[in-house]
Amino acid sequence: MTLFEREGSEVEALLTDRYLERVLARATGGPSSGPVDALLNPVLRDAADQLRRDLVRVHPSFRFEERLAARLAEAAAALRMPAAVGAESGVVPIGVLGRASVEGDDGDEGAYLFDDGELDRRELSRPLLIGGALTSAAISLAGAAWVAWRARPARRGSAMVRAARAVREARLAAVHAGRLD
Amino acid sequence: MARPVFGRVRAAGEAGSARVTHLDRDRALVEEARRDPASFDALYRRYLAQVYSYAYYELGDHHEAEDATERTFLAALANLDRFEERARPADGDGASTFRVWLFRIARNVVANQRRGRRRHPQAPIEAAALVADPLDIEGGAAVRDEAAAAWQAVGRLPADRRRAVVLRFVEEMSTAEIAGVLGRSEGAVRVLIHRALRTVARDLGRDGRPR
Repeated sequence: MTLFEREGSEVEALLTDRYLERVLARATGGPSSGPVDALLNPVLRDAADQLRRDLVRVHPSFRFEERLAARLAEAAAALRMPAAVGAESGVVPIGVLGRASVEGDDGDEGAYLFDDGELDRRELSRPLLIGGALTSAAISLAGAAWVAWRARPARRGSAMVRAARAVREARLAAVHAGRLD
Repeated sequence: MARPVFGRVRAAGEAGSARVTHLDRDRALVEEARRDPASFDALYRRYLAQVYSYAYYELGDHHEAEDATERTFLAALANLDRFEERARPADGDGASTFRVWLFRIARNVVANQRRGRRRHPQAPIEAAALVADPLDIEGGAAVRDEAAAAWQAVGRLPADRRRAVVLRFVEEMSTAEIAGVLGRSEGAVRVLIHRALRTVARDLGRDGRPR
């Protein structure tokens, strides 16, 4: 493509853009035609008009809308809970989660799940309290039980273990006393 | 018609040239949702149909579109603190409003979903029936056929052009907003849409050539 052709294409793209601005503005009482409309290829104008007419916005079902609203309300409540009941306790921030992948079905550069400009890392900005106070308490109780189990006094073992241990100790004593080889 | 997220202002000393500035009309709702996550509902209701439509055009299936919509809003709610409005003229390219940020999440969620299934989406032609007037049986059929042809033509576009067209015509976004969502320059978006229109015109036989 020559420079002239490329510039011509960019000018046509700009004309198309101006025309689309007007097409989309018609619905709100904007001007129905503009001075540069005649400069735009009528084939493109017709295609733009048809897409404007036929590509309608699709609304999800009411049931889905309300179900998701309820789900979001639950999530919002969970977000509020740490601040309400867990602020006094220590919280552990979750570190870098790494790249959260994506895009690529058209060869675009990699994007990130929550990219808003700082795309080199994916980091949770919010510390996490799992499930709020109730879960924290449960974890604490379980942790205390585990520590107590680990720190308990010497393990006694079963009767069979105790018997085996006694036999072994008797044999060792006999060896030391020179009674056995 | 899209609500005027982006407005034009004339800078002092600039004779005859208009500069686009970006006004995030969602700022108050975003701030409220940050204070009280339950207030996120207002943003959800405002953008549900837009996000769902985008997902539906991209995925071609109601259930998958619902799934993508749910993931998008849950991610937006969980990461709202990370949203940073960059919508002043001084911010230049890469300006971001809440709507642009939300659609960037949607775009990535949808891309992940499309990649997961490894097949090209079919144009959801049955939805073209929505365009027709149900009371006008004869005329309705013709309108339906035309709409189905348009949907198919858009569905056959390369991914980047298809996205740009859907954001422009269905979501009624400005070129600047689409640039923000797709991570391209405004000039690149204009060229994408222009080329898409040429392809669609050819596909619909509007250029006089046989299809």
